[in-house]
Amino acid sequence: MTSETDTGNGGPGGLDPAQPPPLAEAGLRQSQKEATRNRVILAARELFDTQGYQGTTIREIARHAGVSVGSVFTTFATKGEILSQVMQERLDRLYAELDRVLPHLRGSTADRLRSMFAIHFAFESQRMRLFLAHIAAAYDCALPSAATPFGKNSRLQEIIRECLVKGVAEGDVDPAIDHLEIIELLMSAYAWTFRLAVWDGADAEAMTAVMDRQIGLIAAGFTPR
Amino acid sequence: MKHTAPLQAAGETIVKVPTRRTLAKQQTRAKVLAAARRLFSEEGYEGATIRDIAAAAGMSTGAVFANFTDKSDLFREIMMTDMVALGEAMREAASRGKGVDDALLRMFGAGYAFYKSQLPLARAAFSVGWTPEEGPQLINSQPAQSLLDLIADELNAGIERGELGQEAEVKLRAQMLFEAYLSNYKQAIFEGWSLDALQARSRDQIRVLLAGARRG
Repeated sequence: MTSETDTGNGGPGGLDPAQPPPLAEAGLRQSQKEATRNRVILAARELFDTQGYQGTTIREIARHAGVSVGSVFTTFATKGEILSQVMQERLDRLYAELDRVLPHLRGSTADRLRSMFAIHFAFESQRMRLFLAHIAAAYDCALPSAATPFGKNSRLQEIIRECLVKGVAEGDVDPAIDHLEIIELLMSAYAWTFRLAVWDGADAEAMTAVMDRQIGLIAAGFTPR
Repeated sequence: MKHTAPLQAAGETIVKVPTRRTLAKQQTRAKVLAAARRLFSEEGYEGATIRDIAAAAGMSTGAVFANFTDKSDLFREIMMTDMVALGEAMREAASRGKGVDDALLRMFGAGYAFYKSQLPLARAAFSVGWTPEEGPQLINSQPAQSLLDLIADELNAGIERGELGQEAEVKLRAQMLFEAYLSNYKQAIFEGWSLDALQARSRDQIRVLLAGARRG
């Protein structure tokens, strides 16, 4: 049995420089927990992508990660939470990349949106089934409220919004148009294009081509008359 | 015990007076379907097990399996029945529309009204619809495709009446309208949007998606 040393006090990101460094034992436990967490996420990413979200059990994830089922549950409450974390870590990388690229995008609002989604497709097409699982899980009853289901991704919505605001300033987006509505239309087109890809075996290039046409069609609706 | 697939049975042209045995079998199927509908609504697709469904229907799992190959078969059957009824409601609503926008709006409104009382089931359907295994079977099914055809029919009628241009990209536009219609269920399921709110959102989406196809 482990003694109940207080390690949870700082909370996530709550490192106080005035406090003495944590006991070596507690620090070790923390890094072990971190290692377990990383292994679970890595294993889950692999399994969700190869056999789907529904087809993967927590037990399999534990076995694949080489940890006990119990230790999976000390870090994650549900399978939905694991998926949410897997997606979060992937998306962090995607958006770091996008933050770098976006300021350099040129052309009309529609073209900038096309480039932005092309980057998404290139990124997500590496893990197609994982992305579908992410969308499916948005409707999963077992999803914890803290998880970020597809469609609640504020980063992507924010990027589209910035694109539209810039378009209004440059005169190729109707100022009267409801941004949220355009965002929703783009998101639904984006999700559908993925479904098409998995079922028809389309690659990133084919998906981008379909999305480009859809963006053109939506753009006709937000261009000032 | 071998059982005949429903499609195969329907294809047979010999008219037979149903025997007591077939009647009993139909009743069993109906009972299982009713129980499954309830459990899928309460527990979601993942959460509902064949064992629970059998128990709720008051029969053995064996009796369930004698009628349905597995859980997805059971779910599909419920969805197909609903989608056929939904298609009729949508067609009827669209026929009262004045112009493309109005016809589409009425069609989608009929859809939201149809599922308003069974949103948990709709939620399960979306969850299943996005899985690589069951999704294609559901979306590519004949009843689902005919919903898409209904939208395309309205767009084509709009072209004939001269409301939309010839180069209206009917197929892609119909698909996008359908997806937009479906995406609003998120708001209905998770944010409790009223039929009026859904209708208002639909109206704007239709306007945006048809803008590029309008003549003049």
